[in-house]
Amino acid sequence: MIVPSVDATEHQRLAALERYGILDTSPEDGFDELVRLAAAICGTPIALISLVDATRQWFKARLGLEASETPRTASFCAYAIHESTVFVVPDATKDPRFAANPLVVGEPRIRFYAGAPLTSPDGYNLGTLCVIDSTPRSLSDDQRTALTAIARQVIAQLELRRHVSEREEVDRLKKDFVSTVSHELRTPLTSIRGSLGLLASGVMGDLTAEARQLVTVAERNSIRLITLINAILDFEKLENGNVEMALRPVPLQRIFDRALDSVSAFAEQEGVRIDVQRTGAVVVADETRLIQVVANLLSNAVKYSHRGGAVTMRARPLDGQVEAQVIDRGRGIAADKQEKIFDRFHQVDSSDARTQSGTGLGLAICKAIIEQHGGTIGVESVEGEGSTFSFRVANTAEAVREIA
Amino acid sequence: MKVLIIDDEQDVRYIVQMSLGRIGQMTVVEAASGEEGIALARSEQPTFILLDMMMPGMDGAAVFRALRALPETAHIPVVFLTAKAMLSEIQRLKDLGAKGVVVKPFDPLTLAREIKAILGV
Repeated sequence: MIVPSVDATEHQRLAALERYGILDTSPEDGFDELVRLAAAICGTPIALISLVDATRQWFKARLGLEASETPRTASFCAYAIHESTVFVVPDATKDPRFAANPLVVGEPRIRFYAGAPLTSPDGYNLGTLCVIDSTPRSLSDDQRTALTAIARQVIAQLELRRHVSEREEVDRLKKDFVSTVSHELRTPLTSIRGSLGLLASGVMGDLTAEARQLVTVAERNSIRLITLINAILDFEKLENGNVEMALRPVPLQRIFDRALDSVSAFAEQEGVRIDVQRTGAVVVADETRLIQVVANLLSNAVKYSHRGGAVTMRARPLDGQVEAQVIDRGRGIAADKQEKIFDRFHQVDSSDARTQSGTGLGLAICKAIIEQHGGTIGVESVEGEGSTFSFRVANTAEAVREIA
Repeated sequence: MKVLIIDDEQDVRYIVQMSLGRIGQMTVVEAASGEEGIALARSEQPTFILLDMMMPGMDGAAVFRALRALPETAHIPVVFLTAKAMLSEIQRLKDLGAKGVVVKPFDPLTLAREIKAILGV
């Protein structure tokens, strides 16, 4: 037996193979189908997708052969990868390179071999798509053409697979990045917020009025930064569908009440009254998350209302769903801005970021939450007259009908 | 009350020292690593342990398991300190057997009250 040679570019070829991350992976239908097709077209009992690494040939797909790999030294494919077209051995017993090969002398008693190189887009032969028979024979021109075409499809599958896994890797890194950054920011913020809070409280001794004022400004902004980090993390999780909604029937009035509790102090401070029209509706919702939505809409409504103004919260059944509305008579939103306000980091005008202590994520988070409830959210507004934010979610009667 | 704070961040330990020591009138013992924390838990016998989750080397979960395995420390209540604010993470720590979880950044003025509420004292 003559051992197959190795090219000068072998280590680049191995690196190219490595980039596909394919070796020692589980069988996949896409590849299995291609070997079945090759065997059917060439009329052979054995067909393989063989990838040649430094020491062995490993089969991504195999038909008619038990082994999942064989040593490279006894490999026909290790010869075939030096070729640019189909490599054919009509009768291995008559070929000095293969006559003593253990796969020829013993099982599976290879006589006929034809291998089309699997050429990567950057020009490296990673292995072959090969067909094998235990009787001497040859391939017709059509069969050769077909084998070459299927080999190109193997490469196309490998490329597709690589793009998908690279994308998954990018997504995973992105997710890890957000959570790592959030963690890395929280640790120093613990010390900053802690120090400022302790100083501002006066427990560490008296500060002058001006110094206390400055420390209070710093503390307030450190808390704002924490709120922003929490919002980013929350939004990221919602966007990636990493939050499971615990959907169950909840009286909407209870959600209204809880949301009201969380914004009433702010409304009082702003001199804005909140009128709640009582509702008997029972919605299917994740209670904590829907309270978050309503509280966010209420707090926005208060924020943009004039002192002495009023905000109304109400609900009604509509098209088999429940529609809840938060209505203010504040400055309203220009028609061309109404679409965009549900986008992340979009505020009605650039002064908002400074004058209103928003994170720029509130409505984007509301939208993500409502969408995960299978609902919709929107706004109607007239500039100078006020805005009505509405969202719709399933009511219990409808949900019961769907389940039944 | 005597508290053992196990956290690799010196500044965080200092804030805890001020929050729980100065405001909460507790005796605060500090450990900068899991190993040091376990040794101090045995010798100091604190009323409770405030244990940071993310530490290089032995992390909070490993320290917690070690504390539970030792007869001298198994009974000491542990409150986790974590920078991961996710509800799932908090639930996971409670499932481990933690008495409670405090999320970083915490309010230094109310930390002592929060922990006393967790411990029910």
